[in-house]
Amino acid sequence: MNKAKLLLFYFGITFVVTLFLICGLGANQTGNVEQTTIPRSDVISIDTISRFGKLERPEVLFLHDQHTDAMEKKGKDCKVCHQSDKGQMSQKFMTLKDEGAQALIDIYHGTCIECHKKTSDEGEKSGPVICNDCHNVKSQVVSSRQPFGFDKSLHFTHSEAVEKKCERCHHEYDEKAKKLFYAKGKEGTCRYCHKDKTIDNKISIKLAAHVGCINCHIKTIAEKKDAGPIKCRGCHGVDEQKKIEKKKSITRMQREQPDTTIIKIGQDIDTRMNLVPFDHKSHEEYNDNCRGCHHEGLDTCSKCHPITGIQEGNYISLEQAMHRIKAKQSCLGCHENNKQQKECAGCHSLIRKNISYNDSACATCHIKKDQETDSKDGIEAIKLQSARLLKSRPLVINTFNAEDIPEIVKIKDFTKKYQPVEFPHRKIINTLTNNIKNNKLANYFHSDKGTICQGCHHNMPLTKKPSRCTNCHGKPFDEMNMSRPGAIGAYHIQCMGCHDNMGIDKMGCTDCHKLTEN
Amino acid sequence: MSISRREFLGRIGAVGIGATITGKAHAGSKHFTGNPDGVGVLHDISRCVGCRACEEACNKVNELSLPDLPFDDKHVLDKKRRTTTDAYTVVNSYKNINDRAPVFRKIQCNHCLEPACVSACFVRAFKKSKAGPVIYNASVCVGCRYCMVACPFEIPTYEYDDPFTPRVVKCTMCAPRIEKGQLPGCVEACPKEALTYGKRSDLIKMAHDRISKYPDQYINHIYGEYEMGGTSWLYISGVDFKDIGMREDLGVTSAPALTHSALSLVPMVVGLWPVFLAGMYGMSKRREKVAEQEKEDAVCSAVEKAGTEADSKLAKALEQSKKEQEKALAQAEKEKEKAVEEALKNVADTNPEEES
Repeated sequence: MNKAKLLLFYFGITFVVTLFLICGLGANQTGNVEQTTIPRSDVISIDTISRFGKLERPEVLFLHDQHTDAMEKKGKDCKVCHQSDKGQMSQKFMTLKDEGAQALIDIYHGTCIECHKKTSDEGEKSGPVICNDCHNVKSQVVSSRQPFGFDKSLHFTHSEAVEKKCERCHHEYDEKAKKLFYAKGKEGTCRYCHKDKTIDNKISIKLAAHVGCINCHIKTIAEKKDAGPIKCRGCHGVDEQKKIEKKKSITRMQREQPDTTIIKIGQDIDTRMNLVPFDHKSHEEYNDNCRGCHHEGLDTCSKCHPITGIQEGNYISLEQAMHRIKAKQSCLGCHENNKQQKECAGCHSLIRKNISYNDSACATCHIKKDQETDSKDGIEAIKLQSARLLKSRPLVINTFNAEDIPEIVKIKDFTKKYQPVEFPHRKIINTLTNNIKNNKLANYFHSDKGTICQGCHHNMPLTKKPSRCTNCHGKPFDEMNMSRPGAIGAYHIQCMGCHDNMGIDKMGCTDCHKLTEN
Repeated sequence: MSISRREFLGRIGAVGIGATITGKAHAGSKHFTGNPDGVGVLHDISRCVGCRACEEACNKVNELSLPDLPFDDKHVLDKKRRTTTDAYTVVNSYKNINDRAPVFRKIQCNHCLEPACVSACFVRAFKKSKAGPVIYNASVCVGCRYCMVACPFEIPTYEYDDPFTPRVVKCTMCAPRIEKGQLPGCVEACPKEALTYGKRSDLIKMAHDRISKYPDQYINHIYGEYEMGGTSWLYISGVDFKDIGMREDLGVTSAPALTHSALSLVPMVVGLWPVFLAGMYGMSKRREKVAEQEKEDAVCSAVEKAGTEADSKLAKALEQSKKEQEKALAQAEKEKEKAVEEALKNVADTNPEEES
């Protein structure tokens, strides 16, 4: 019997040892090898042939600027690689039309290898001529290409440069005549028609931007005038993007938009809410481009989003379109995003993100209609009325008089280790109000006395003398209300949370309470 | 610690036999979601400020030796640390990828619902208590440190510097304090309530609530709700868990459940081993027997063959001798006849003279 046990034991040991060996070997294989990578903004992945079938070899990572620079040094231009059609340089390589896989392979292999050989024969530094040197999976190059957008400032620069000839860029498509034409007053952003991918004859935004911008820049340079970039990094490089000048005084874009209006809800609808006057001009200033709100076209919101949803608007009703907190185009979505600024985040990051359905908050936008009647009709009347309503709205941060705000609040000692905190109560309120003094949005929503107090004195009515922190926060881990922190926790969460979100560096223990001397 | 070799081996045998008997009752064969009313701690990583008050409290509560640098020395955080025999919990600092203040994470035993250390321990020195803490019994520990290998979070440490009574040590979730109705030391000390103590089920509810209230500030995941089959310590964070050194490759299956299928082979092997040996024994016995039989037969046949051969030889010899005898007899007869004839002839030649 003893012998059998011993045998069992040895078997067990052997089994476990084998298991460890297997595990050990397995563990060694999972080590990560870190590769050094070179970020570049001009990486183009040549996979054109994949449209005609499966690629036999890995796609080629092509460094465009490296080639442009090399050509430039030799005094050559884009024509070495790109052909032109009707004065427009094609984006394709050595062809105007992709005519099948083999044709493309021949073009690439013929031209690239030929040129590389020729260059190296001339004794210059040249590119690869062996298959795997181009068709290389383990390339060390990573794309650091930044997406590029056309903002107000750039639009202004361009419109000045072309002497406000909008037709130089903006166009519409005539289905019958099958050609582009310019329609005054119909201008929109490029992306309204040119989507991410080419659909029918509407080329993708990528292609449209490269054809349109680069061709114009090349022509302008040829005219020996100041022009925009023609190299990848000029628009897509991280550092180069920072160098693009942001114009401060910009003339407003003119597209027959109103200065102020009343948000349209559709025809002949008996509304139960007060209508919202909207300061269009101010909002133009807050946004970089029209797409911030007009995401699909420069029409009124209610065209796609009437009171009840329709198919064109993806069945999103006007109420949702204006109030959706997670949508970046909606009023509340954008306003909510604004609360992430340092000046606001101190209080607002600790306040639950939701729509407050209370009268005063609604009435900030849904202003009660006045009884005044306008002598003018239609659009003009709306403009006048909306301007008057907007003016009637209080635009001031209101808070209690200084003498009603305690200057210093002493937070007693909870532990023997530290001295009580002298909390500069009034100074903090003054700083908070000063920070948002110039923020119109904040002004509209903090016009009630006591609103600003609610950053800390939360979950209670607005009064001149709100409850103290310790009235609610006492012992930690109250089983009846787990989500309510204890006093020490509440102070630290509130104070340090605010400091962190506002970027205030007072985060150490002794920054607020001194150690007890003993 | 006093365990004789005989007893140790005996226990191993017992474990082997136990494994064969218990079979399906083993952990992992059913979905286990923790003991009802089990307690735990929720660590809100986004609240932690790296003050190390928890470390200090842990040191004090467990009466550990004081570290070289004081607890308010923040330079300690520059280095990634792990739990040691003198620090059941450590706070590490991680770079915040969102370009904000660094993120701090407290490390200690996670008190898994189905702990790997418990399943790895063959003397049952570790035990998952119904209340939640995974508790250690030094008196039965043999110091094999399988628990240290088994733990996916690298928590248990070993008192290597103690030559006589080394123990495996790790956070106890302050089980003795909990029994007395007190909070775990670290939880009590945390000034920011980054640690919340309570029933695990309540903590999960609370964590979900916090995430849904502040969706921008948290990753929508409670680490430990399902990791390794669930842990009593839970974590919520504003940054990806993998960015703060937390393993995301552990899966949701508990360690015992993972090893159960492999280990369930052990009893089978253990069960089959005697059968195999008995078979081997039987086979060798049979072979011996067969060989014996064959030998006997061979002898018999050899003897028989020898017998018949001898017989035939004898018969032949006899026949030959008979023939020779007959031949000799015949010859003798012939010679006799010849002699008689000659004698008669001689007699006839001499007789007439005598008569005359």
